[in-house]
Amino acid sequence: MSSVLERARRIDQRFLVAAAILFAVLLPFFFDSGSPFMDDAVLALAYVVMALGLNVIVGFAGLLDLGYVAFFAIGAFTMGWLGSTFYSESNGGDGIHILVTGAASNLPGIHINFLLVLVAAVVFTTIAGVIIGLPTLRLRGDYIAIVTLAFGEIIGQVAANGDQIKIGPIWDATLGKLPLIPDLGSSATLTRGKLGISPVDKIDLPFMDPFTSLNSRPWYFVALGLVLLVLFVNVRLRDSRLGRAWLALREDEVAAISMGIPTVKTKLMAYGTGAALGGMSGAFLGSFLNTVNASQFEFLFSIFILAMVILGGLGSVWGVVIGAILLSYVNSWLIPDVLNGLPGQLGLDFDLTQVSFAIFGFILVIVMILRPEGLIPERSRKQEMHGIGAGDTAGAGTDVELGEAG
Amino acid sequence: MPVAFAIHDLSADGSLVRIGNNLKDGISNGAIWALVALGYTMVYGIVELINFAHGEVFMIGSFIAFAAFGWLGLDLTTAIPLLILGLALTLLISAIASGALNGMIEKVGYRPLRDAPKLAPLITAVGFSFILQNVGVLWLGGSQVSVPDLIGSQNLLFEVGGIDITNGDALSILTTIPLVLGLTLFIDRARMGKAMRATAQDPDAARLMGIDVDKTISATFLIGGVMAGAAGLIYALYQTTIWFHQGFEAGLIAFTAAVMGGIGNLRGAVVGGLIIGCIQQISDNRIGPEWTPVIVFAFLVLVMLVRPRGLLGEETRQAG
Amino acid sequence: MSAGPEKAAAPKPAPEVPIRAEGLTKKFGGLTAVSDVDLELRAGEIAAIIGPNGAGKTTFFNMLTGLYRPTSGRIRRGQRDITRARPDQITALGVARTFQNIRLFPTMTARQNVMIGRHSRMRAGIFGSIFRPPWVRNEEREVWERAAEELRFVGLKPELLDRPSTALSYGDQRRVEIARALASDPEILLLDEPTAGMDPRESGELADFVLRIREERKLSILLIEHDMKVVMGISDRVTVLDHGELIAEGDPAAVREDPKVIEAYLGRGATA
Repeated sequence: MSSVLERARRIDQRFLVAAAILFAVLLPFFFDSGSPFMDDAVLALAYVVMALGLNVIVGFAGLLDLGYVAFFAIGAFTMGWLGSTFYSESNGGDGIHILVTGAASNLPGIHINFLLVLVAAVVFTTIAGVIIGLPTLRLRGDYIAIVTLAFGEIIGQVAANGDQIKIGPIWDATLGKLPLIPDLGSSATLTRGKLGISPVDKIDLPFMDPFTSLNSRPWYFVALGLVLLVLFVNVRLRDSRLGRAWLALREDEVAAISMGIPTVKTKLMAYGTGAALGGMSGAFLGSFLNTVNASQFEFLFSIFILAMVILGGLGSVWGVVIGAILLSYVNSWLIPDVLNGLPGQLGLDFDLTQVSFAIFGFILVIVMILRPEGLIPERSRKQEMHGIGAGDTAGAGTDVELGEAG
Repeated sequence: MPVAFAIHDLSADGSLVRIGNNLKDGISNGAIWALVALGYTMVYGIVELINFAHGEVFMIGSFIAFAAFGWLGLDLTTAIPLLILGLALTLLISAIASGALNGMIEKVGYRPLRDAPKLAPLITAVGFSFILQNVGVLWLGGSQVSVPDLIGSQNLLFEVGGIDITNGDALSILTTIPLVLGLTLFIDRARMGKAMRATAQDPDAARLMGIDVDKTISATFLIGGVMAGAAGLIYALYQTTIWFHQGFEAGLIAFTAAVMGGIGNLRGAVVGGLIIGCIQQISDNRIGPEWTPVIVFAFLVLVMLVRPRGLLGEETRQAG
Repeated sequence: MSAGPEKAAAPKPAPEVPIRAEGLTKKFGGLTAVSDVDLELRAGEIAAIIGPNGAGKTTFFNMLTGLYRPTSGRIRRGQRDITRARPDQITALGVARTFQNIRLFPTMTARQNVMIGRHSRMRAGIFGSIFRPPWVRNEEREVWERAAEELRFVGLKPELLDRPSTALSYGDQRRVEIARALASDPEILLLDEPTAGMDPRESGELADFVLRIREERKLSILLIEHDMKVVMGISDRVTVLDHGELIAEGDPAAVREDPKVIEAYLGRGATA
């Protein structure tokens, strides 16, 4: 495996990246658009977005975040609140419709175009990221981990019990009185508790028919678009003043502070960015999975995404992409579809679904022991910086974008 | 919070019995969390690893205790002297087995990664946690299993000022105190205890002083596992139900307790465990159990805001 | 204890005292690391702080740079009170430092380390970093070149510019640390035992280099130093700390003869 990676490294990275993108673009045309494989692929891409978001916090800035699920939850709820019949009493029961077409435009509740929801999700999660980041600023090392974990759990539990929190009356008496802001109705609650908000509006892009759950190809391309966007953000940030500051804080906080790096601002930027990316993916998943359900927002999800980041290679953009795709497929395809059929094919009477959790655990243990640095470790940053200023100063920074592996 | 509820009770019916009982239950439960938290805090103190599998070691401890009841033939008809002997034996079995399990996990999963990036062992720990949970499912199934109520956990032992002390309370507190005292004494006095403290402070210096660091780390995991195994037995007897998921929940709570007290600090782990136990009981009883996790974690965040190094942690001088 | 400078008849115009500590005290729990120390650094001078190990010298530096918050006392930078300022604000006000035990960023190259030193003089924020408009590109390029210049100034061989900092020799690492500090355009440079671990010849070279920095950069330098030859050779003024207290202050020759200083050193069998 390692020799393959070594060789891969020697080939021009840019070529590899272009090939990977081309492959990703062409992939859906080789599969039936309603096939389970395509559904898994959409899921994998959404997880790539999540993992790249967490990579900014844990990989770049070195802040161990065990509560990343919080941003998934907030992003997904943004989608649920602003794109479903959940607030069916809002606007006096007529609902609110902004730039939506198809069935959603006639339903009660709030229905806002997906692209606007995406923006709202980014805003909400960035704010949440900063709020969650604030109490961790004075903390060192793994104390940060537990505080983020605590916030993840708090948000998960609030989601599960949010049906007890009536926000309607308060909303209508305060914000609802403002111009342009609709009322929610007296029975409006924060979440729908364990029942979950479902169905959720499908993505509705300009000049296209609303998406359906039968055809996963359009979903795939939206997810791929998000992945490319987030990749761009990751690579650009890594090779910037901010990325350098994160690296410095991660390696020696005392020295970094003494060299003039403002810790509070720099760390909050990592939390905010990571949160925003997680929120984008969360809003997408809310629509794609067609439900926003408290059981999705558990601690295990945070661990799942963190495993993708560490397994792929902490801080390594391309490693994290591979780690996310790999674990996503292990979870949604390898264990349920491949391994579970194995004993039957071998003529054994043994049900592997019983041990799927253990198989997942084994894979984590074995990969970590064989490749403790991750599948594609973050390289020393020497070469990255070559792109900026070295040799051809005229093109400083332009040609390193997607051209370097983590 | 306890003070607020005490005042509330006093003004409501002029009696402190309800809050007293809340706190009593909290301490009994908290004692179990404290034992589990000790394992987290010891391991973190020495190798700076959040041993995610530790909660599962505790769960396996409960399962082994349950099995040992069967092997030893302990049931509700066993005579009291025999029962005491049997339980002591069970304590030994589950403590040693859990200790061995934790030691084995260290050897297989963490030792090869000693020079790896800091977060690598965290993921193997998660891996072992998953594996052990699955072992639990295969062993006793995916739902709660009831354990014979050997000690009559809910039976009243005696009453002080309206507070009911049950057999379960007595067991929990009377087993925890000697264990914690013994551990503290061991760490303070014994050769191995001193080696642990030295290694926790500076592994390289410890090695230069002739301390076998590998052996010391193994011993730390072993002792942490022993504490978790003992907690597993107490939990089984006290709660009278066990299941594979208990380790995950206990792990989260105990880790929180360890951090709240100041991770690496033994007394802190005990204090943190007891405080969380009390908060849980009060919240369960007054606010509603579904909100308890929110309250526990919100309290943790509050503690971290006020005391960034935990309740018993101190500001230390940093290099530079 | 020396009289505080503010007690002098006429207060000096502020620009002449780039940084001044007044009654600075730091306690850790029950331990008093620095006790009521007054110290000022005058424009263009090289001043040294000496004292036995554990005298509180580095703690004093850590307070000046904002790493520690003083238990009591004040720090002034010119006319500004920076006692409660954050380290990054203090850096932005033109105070830079090195560390006794070299603290370079290990996975970064020499050049990247120096680029970090330039952080406080750069502007690119999160959107600038993502969208990278022309001014951000120019900024990056300028800092990239500036880092090379600084490293040339401190005498690092050009072929070592893009080596990981951990691959450099000890002496080179010290140079990179100084270059990193200089990259922030400081007016005040704090050097924490710059010759630690060097042989006499290297120490001598470094002493000459410190003088050159002052000449070419027009800055004031405060250094903690154990090597008496270096201290006596380059400093205009020497302050002696012992057990956190200031026990002597003055020109190097006078301090060397001070009985309290001799006792502080010889009393512990340490060699000065």
